[in-house]
Amino acid sequence: MITIELNGQQQPLPADSAVSDLLAIIGSDGKSVAVVVNEQIIRPDNRSAHLLHEGDKVELLIFAGGG
Amino acid sequence: MDSLQLGSYTFSSRLILGTGKFSSAAVMLEAVRASGAQLITVALRRFNREQAEDDLFGPLSAMKGITLMPNTSGASTAAEAVRAAHIARELSGSAFIKVEIHPNPQHLMPDPIETFEAARILAKEGFLVMPYITADPVLAKRLEEVGCASVMPLGSAIGSGQGVATAAMIEIIIRESGIPVIVDAGLRSPSEAAHAMEMGCGAVLVNSAVAVAGNPPEMAEAFAEAVSAGRKAFRAGLMQKSGSAIATSPLTTFLGTY
Repeated sequence: MITIELNGQQQPLPADSAVSDLLAIIGSDGKSVAVVVNEQIIRPDNRSAHLLHEGDKVELLIFAGGG
Repeated sequence: MDSLQLGSYTFSSRLILGTGKFSSAAVMLEAVRASGAQLITVALRRFNREQAEDDLFGPLSAMKGITLMPNTSGASTAAEAVRAAHIARELSGSAFIKVEIHPNPQHLMPDPIETFEAARILAKEGFLVMPYITADPVLAKRLEEVGCASVMPLGSAIGSGQGVATAAMIEIIIRESGIPVIVDAGLRSPSEAAHAMEMGCGAVLVNSAVAVAGNPPEMAEAFAEAVSAGRKAFRAGLMQKSGSAIATSPLTTFLGTY
């Protein structure tokens, strides 16, 4: 197991998890979520190839109401 | 056809609607429909699996004729705003970005220096930059010169409902500007939106006034009608003001002539 920082909180993950695995674990279809790993944007077509590592800082962002 | 041109985009509606502060996503969507607005602002927020219904991308992108304009709210520096813009573009698929940098939550006044810097960088990268600014004609001109798609001076403080308190400055901005001037923030009533449009604004951006109204969809429609009426009046050409009365009826006496 590894531990990443997901939106500021500790999240355990099986080793060799990709970004797409993380999205599946938290129940997101990934369509409406922007993924940023260590300040780098991970595009949808790259999410199953991009592996997460111990201590990675992951931000998942969505569109919410705003003016 | 009188339309609003922003970059390569053409809009028939001159009302831009924000999506914050609505009681529910369903009410917001109904208000968007009723407003006829084609450009809709959204904000970036961290995903929270307990609040999945807050995700507006799905329902808004399913609506026909809607273009999303994400904002950079939450950024307090140019660098943060640029980063937010990059992330937002991934989601929205649109080049629009509302640059909104307000470091002080007490008054939410936009930081002109950071805003200018972010706008300069993002315009160069090909974004359609819509900067939220104080009603400053010099700043507005500088933003036009670095390639912004519009300038969006505030009518009054965000969410304050104090109307177009900056009207005199906005008139100067409009006179000097070669890009659309959009009053953003502070509007409370449709008559204020009509006033802004009569002055020659290209559009108005409204959020709180619709979101917290007793009946948001009905208020959205009222704003749409006011924006349309104000625009029509501007195009028709308002009469000049006069310091004294000028009669509209003949003043020749006839009642006392017999």
